[in-house]
Amino acid sequence: MGAKVRVVERKGRTFLEQLYLLEVFKGMAVTLGHFFRNLLDNSRLYVRHYPEVRPEISPRWRGRHRLTRHEDGTVKCVACFMCQTNCPSNCIIIEAGERFDGRSEKMPLRFDIDLLECIYCGYCVEACPMDAIRMDTGIFSVTSDNRESMVLGLEEMLRTPGAFDEDSYQKGVR
Amino acid sequence: MAEMVKLFVNGQEVEVEAGKNLIDALQVVGIEIPHFCYHPALGADGNCRMCLVGIEDGRPPLVPACKTPAQPGMKVLLEDEKIKKIQRDIMELELINHPVDCPVCDQAGECTLQDYYMSYSQQDSRMNVEQVHKDKRLDFGCGVVHDQERCVLCARCVRFTRQITKTGELGIVNRSDQARVTIFPGRPLANRYALNIVDICPVGAMTSKDFRFRQRVWFLQKDPGICHGCSTGCNIYIDHHREKYGDDVIYRFRARTNLQVNGYFICDAGRLSYKTENENRQDRTLVDGVEVPLERGIEAALDKLNRARKPLMLVSPDSTLEQLWAIKRIATLYGAVLSGYSDAYVLAGDGDDYLISDDKAANRAGLQLLDIDSGKESFAAALADADLLVNFNNDLFFSPGNEDLQEALEATDQVSVCSHDRPAFSRATVILPCASYSEYGGSIVNRNNVLQRFARAVCRDADPCDIIEITRLLGGAISDNARAWPGLRQSVPALSRIWPERIPVEGVTLNSSEETHVGA
Amino acid sequence: MSALDIIMILLRIAFGVLVPLSFVAVLVWMERRGAAYFQDRSGPNRCNIMGFRAGGLVQNLADAIKLVFKEDVVPGHIRHKFYFILAPMLVFITALLCFAVIPFADVLLVGGSSYIMQAIPTDIGILWFLAIVGFGVYGIILAGWSSHNKYGVLGGLRAAAQVISYEIPMGLALVSLLAVYGTVNLTEMAQYQGQLLFGFIPMWGVVLQPLGVIIFIVAAFAETNRTPFDLAEGESEIVAGFHVEYSSMKFALFFMGEYVAMFVSSALIVTLYFGSYQIPWLATDTLLAYARPVTVLLMIGLPVIGYFFGQWIKKNNSSHYRREHDPRIRETKVYIALLWSLVVLLEVICLGYLLFAAGGGADRILVALLQIGTFLLKTFLMCFVYVWVRWTLPRFRYDQLQKIGWEKLLPLSLLNIFITSAVIVAFG
Repeated sequence: MGAKVRVVERKGRTFLEQLYLLEVFKGMAVTLGHFFRNLLDNSRLYVRHYPEVRPEISPRWRGRHRLTRHEDGTVKCVACFMCQTNCPSNCIIIEAGERFDGRSEKMPLRFDIDLLECIYCGYCVEACPMDAIRMDTGIFSVTSDNRESMVLGLEEMLRTPGAFDEDSYQKGVR
Repeated sequence: MAEMVKLFVNGQEVEVEAGKNLIDALQVVGIEIPHFCYHPALGADGNCRMCLVGIEDGRPPLVPACKTPAQPGMKVLLEDEKIKKIQRDIMELELINHPVDCPVCDQAGECTLQDYYMSYSQQDSRMNVEQVHKDKRLDFGCGVVHDQERCVLCARCVRFTRQITKTGELGIVNRSDQARVTIFPGRPLANRYALNIVDICPVGAMTSKDFRFRQRVWFLQKDPGICHGCSTGCNIYIDHHREKYGDDVIYRFRARTNLQVNGYFICDAGRLSYKTENENRQDRTLVDGVEVPLERGIEAALDKLNRARKPLMLVSPDSTLEQLWAIKRIATLYGAVLSGYSDAYVLAGDGDDYLISDDKAANRAGLQLLDIDSGKESFAAALADADLLVNFNNDLFFSPGNEDLQEALEATDQVSVCSHDRPAFSRATVILPCASYSEYGGSIVNRNNVLQRFARAVCRDADPCDIIEITRLLGGAISDNARAWPGLRQSVPALSRIWPERIPVEGVTLNSSEETHVGA
Repeated sequence: MSALDIIMILLRIAFGVLVPLSFVAVLVWMERRGAAYFQDRSGPNRCNIMGFRAGGLVQNLADAIKLVFKEDVVPGHIRHKFYFILAPMLVFITALLCFAVIPFADVLLVGGSSYIMQAIPTDIGILWFLAIVGFGVYGIILAGWSSHNKYGVLGGLRAAAQVISYEIPMGLALVSLLAVYGTVNLTEMAQYQGQLLFGFIPMWGVVLQPLGVIIFIVAAFAETNRTPFDLAEGESEIVAGFHVEYSSMKFALFFMGEYVAMFVSSALIVTLYFGSYQIPWLATDTLLAYARPVTVLLMIGLPVIGYFFGQWIKKNNSSHYRREHDPRIRETKVYIALLWSLVVLLEVICLGYLLFAAGGGADRILVALLQIGTFLLKTFLMCFVYVWVRWTLPRFRYDQLQKIGWEKLLPLSLLNIFITSAVIVAFG
């Protein structure tokens, strides 16, 4: 290892610092400053008022998944299982079948992502050789009151459009 | 032991078996020579040129390893820059028209081309003209699907049909980049070993229609096993996988090399027999047609056994030696007549002179070793006399021929211990589920008296008990395979010097001379 | 016993019970809002009844309803159900009992008899507190042990060790304080603090015992299991410590017990060191003598305070983003109207007092009310210090906690006793 070793002088060795009480008061002064600043004018809070004020989603942001299509509307996915193989949380379940549309020999008959297990790491997107799966829907809030509906199916993923135009997505990915 | 010779590989001295070619000889000591067309069962062909190795001071200095026997003092060069260039160039040649559709190719993960690309090539394609397109998804019959684009023209498949099955359905037509493997018009593959082509194809050109697109091979857990399709006892790999939220499912059987039993191949029927392990399984315990927990089923069976005056126990010729021994012990315990009647398992005339045997039972030799009577007359007599039949997974209606017993069977109260839901078992008042051969381990003896041992591979959700466990629950003393062996050694002379853990992977032939050899 | 006696007893007991309980609501709200503002967040600002959020207080109501209606789980592995159920009660009741001896106003002379303004008018004072507060930790230990849970036991053990370590410096700090005041009676202590040192400095405990106050406050923090001494709870290391197995109202009792304890120890700190109910420079006699001018001052001050408070509400009770038909504007209007009606009401009462009731018994009641107000204000501020410390200081490590207790606070408190005694002996 060629890393340089830098010896850092240990702080907090003077008597006043060791007394601790003085440092405590300093820290408390800082927090009290914040308290009064916010108490007197709460428009300065660093808080987004979420349901009313929506966050801005960047094209790089990994949201809910979708499956893309070719220009003629056929599914890009060839069911190579690369995403399933790469998935660290093991949440993708694919069933493959024969395909006769000339694009490929293989296509997914079933493509489920269990969003309850998904950790949104984006490895599936990186693994995909066909650019068939993307996480650019901009959907960041996936909620449900039962487990079953948290499993995303092929149809639903094909139905969801991307939230960004191709250029900004490509720029974001790169 | 074979004669050993010393030779040098990349300047290092190694000791290998004499007479073998360099690929086989060096593989034993862990040195890999890349090759496509050579297969130990099919012999050297020398068409792929991938196995070219340099011989220092040799004449000629460059030889195909598959055709060159190991000789003393030979100085083999593998790491030479010249050799590496040859390997790179061959790989480039093979990949010129290869579609590189690994994502949709079933061979991906066990593909020689992929492996060699990573080990010997790793170069980008320099092709700037359109690739030659050939036919894809050609149905060759017998469940073999061919993709001409992926083919590297090693001719293993062609040689297989000529040398092994001697049917010769396949051939290579045309020359240069138009060369392709094909069948004669209107004459598809028609032999009982055709799916071995899928195994021996080094690339994804030959795929099995049955396995096609069903699972990626790197997910599969590959456990060794023994095919129970017939009395040959071919060695197989059981490729199974537990999908998330799913059950442990077998996806395919593949041939496992065992020169003493089956060589390099297995028959198609055995290869596809994995389906019976997945389907139509008896997983529920039934008493009078009502599903109950296993304990209740055992209670009902015990009740019947204790009340029976003349119980009859029927064992299956598929059961392992240990299972047979455990059943034999409880038959003695309950004073039951024990029969191994299983004529239904014999399909006369179905076998051939290669691997397929008439007898579809895996351990009939074991039945004879344990001296279990399997005559029809004695069974019919005992059945007429008995008031309870305990059937340990013996499918009496495996094939037609036992219709005359139907009446007697119907008249007798039956307890079935069975792995599958079949007509032979469904009449029983108590049905206890048991494991099938992919779910237990044990020892079986094949038609040539080769004793082989296999271990459990699959663990399904239902997880039915082994027959041994059921005999234990019914009051037997044998609780696992190991505890059966002291008794087996004592009572069966042929097994008297066999320790199961010492049985070699390729099995041991049971005759007097081998016995002493292994037993020591 | 006259009717007045009975009324006064009931009033005092009601005060002793209801004030800590209603302070729980205030403190929970203060903790949340305080935490939020310390961390630049906004705190509870959604819960409302018909759009009225009462600054986040409605959230407390929602939480209370939730806790009441939650399933009350007693896990199956718990063998000693009685102790398991007893533990939260113990914690809550001991916390509440401590407040009973704390005076919230000077001795009240009404109708010819005098009333000590404590829920339990006893003169054992601080001894009662010491006895009861040490008992509170039994609840925690009992909870940890009866939970039959490793985290619970660890939490209980930590609490036990902590209380043993910190009761000693606390008691010793009190010893020097007692030497100064010369009494254990809390009312007398409060009266003592109404004097002036050198004629101009209020003779508060904090002036007389600067070292003692630090030791006592630190020990009181430890005693109430508040950060930085909340190792018994330690949610990041032992999940929730002693109350890990509790749910629903049993958990709520722990929760409320914690806040009542916080309120009580704030009240005690105020009583012992910060002049109790005394308004600086305005002792009870002075107040009685100048009741009218003080009332006039109040009448002038109230609208001014009201105005600034109204401005503050107007400024902060609005949506800081574009929003159509902002419901908060209506809310603000109602709040300000309520505020001004309160001001007017108080003005009318004060006026009524000035015109009709000045002098005699009414003066005394007015003074008592003023003192109660002062006492509650001081306690409220001390509670704020609790919250403030909690959201500023990180939790101690366990060895640090014990080190501070035994190696720092104990010698310091002994030193404090020596110095105090020396000064008392020297200057009488």
